[in-house]
Amino acid sequence: MFTFENFLFLLQGVPNTLAISFLSFALGFALGIPTALVKQFSPFGLGHVADAYISVMRGIPVLVIMLLFHFGMAGIIPVFKSAFLSATFALGLRSGAFQSQIFRGAINSVGRQQMMAATSLGMNRWQAFRHVILPQAFIVALPGLGSEIALLIKDSSYAFVLGVLELTKYSDIVRKATRSFLYPYLIAAILYIMITFPVANYLDRLGSRLKTKYGLR
Amino acid sequence: MGEVILACEGLKKRYGDLWVLKGIDFEIERGQTKVIIGPSGSGKSTFLRLMGLLEPPTEGKIYFEGKDVYGSGLDLNMLRAKIGFVFQEPSLFRHLTALGNVKLGPKVVLKMKDEEAERKAMDALKTVKLEEWAHHYPAQLSGGQQQRVGIARALAMDPDIILFDEPTASLDIELTWEVIDVMKDLARRGVTMLVVTHELGFAKEVADEILFMDDGRIIESGPPEELLKNPKTPRAREFLRRLIGGV
Ligand SMILES: Nc1ncnc2c1ncn2[C@@H]1O[C@H](COP(=O)(O)OP(=O)(O)OP(=O)(O)O)[C@@H](O)[C@H]1O
Ligand SMILES: [Mg+2]
Repeated sequence: MFTFENFLFLLQGVPNTLAISFLSFALGFALGIPTALVKQFSPFGLGHVADAYISVMRGIPVLVIMLLFHFGMAGIIPVFKSAFLSATFALGLRSGAFQSQIFRGAINSVGRQQMMAATSLGMNRWQAFRHVILPQAFIVALPGLGSEIALLIKDSSYAFVLGVLELTKYSDIVRKATRSFLYPYLIAAILYIMITFPVANYLDRLGSRLKTKYGLR
Repeated sequence: MGEVILACEGLKKRYGDLWVLKGIDFEIERGQTKVIIGPSGSGKSTFLRLMGLLEPPTEGKIYFEGKDVYGSGLDLNMLRAKIGFVFQEPSLFRHLTALGNVKLGPKVVLKMKDEEAERKAMDALKTVKLEEWAHHYPAQLSGGQQQRVGIARALAMDPDIILFDEPTASLDIELTWEVIDVMKDLARRGVTMLVVTHELGFAKEVADEILFMDDGRIIESGPPEELLKNPKTPRAREFLRRLIGGV
């Protein structure tokens, strides 16, 4: 029998799901912007490094990265002894590659004319990026970032395999304890939607609102 | 004679196989207003972008206040800060208000303190009669207002010269006037201006010289009364006949 107590117990997985998702998003953001800029400018020929990073992250299942970190590399890199951190870093690294693509597209959408106007004022490339291109690109990127957060929230469920006590793991525990096969996963599914929908939807709408306000395309 | 601010010698520009500028000699002195006219595709915008140091020439030299711009290791950004540019295309920073647009250059490039940059920007907005619109975003302004903010943005840098590339080409007639009025006002105040425009009224009233550009060359130049009334080259005569006749 699946009871209300089971439901409350299951809820205890939510904080870890949120923590993995948002920490990996932050890590991805911190990696994504520099990667986008490196791809754009290719300083010291580093553009290829950015390309390689993106291709590698696009080509490996995130679960495999997690397993590789936690079981394969914990001996070399002590933080990977923690299942939680292995999952977070794996998702964050992949997210950095994805977010760099989102930012690249957004930066290109801002257009040459804005760069030219900034240059005509005497700004160097970095100043132009910092004050003119990136703020606009960020607004254009909002819907894409919303989808990326939703993806991270969902894919944080892979951490279950490493034994992290997040939402999917809790629903599995409840399934085993209650022998109820439907409800634990169904409730988990509903909880995932309840988390992803508002976040993604909010960023979508914020993006559209700001785009209209600033006349961005 | 006044001090020559901006000049070029044997200026050429090639895009791929296409020579867009085929050898231009030009100079403009402090306080002068010069107007460039010429058919579409003749290279006017390209010439202006080169003189604004937004693109390097393929051949030839550009001089700013007598110094060879690309030949003597000068800091291009420092020179660009002294050359204002008003574009034909909408070029305001869309995420900033009119005031934000105008004060960004003084803050970021001239390193002014916020209050100082703001004062400077408000002065420039007053010059283009837009102080009441300071807190509006570009998307909330008319095309003519946007172009005036663009002019204010250039002015706030205290440039030695401002280049205008058909600033009214994409505007309705009424909006054109408000922009042209501001530009006439600047010319009379002694701002040095190089203007691509087909507003001949503006040229007649304030230009010291009109340059007629065709196929990558300046093929004729002279004071407005002369060039507009008695163009010497058949190309200029034909072009003006069509322009005035509206054909
Ligand atoms: N960045 C570029 N790359 C390739 N070709 C270019 C570039 N910029 C201009 N051209 C070409 O150079 C020629 C001159 O263009 P330009 O814009 O300077 O002419 P214009 O006199 O300003 O014309 P308009 O009156 O239509 O503005 C055109 O044939 C144009 O296609
Ligand atoms: Mg042009």
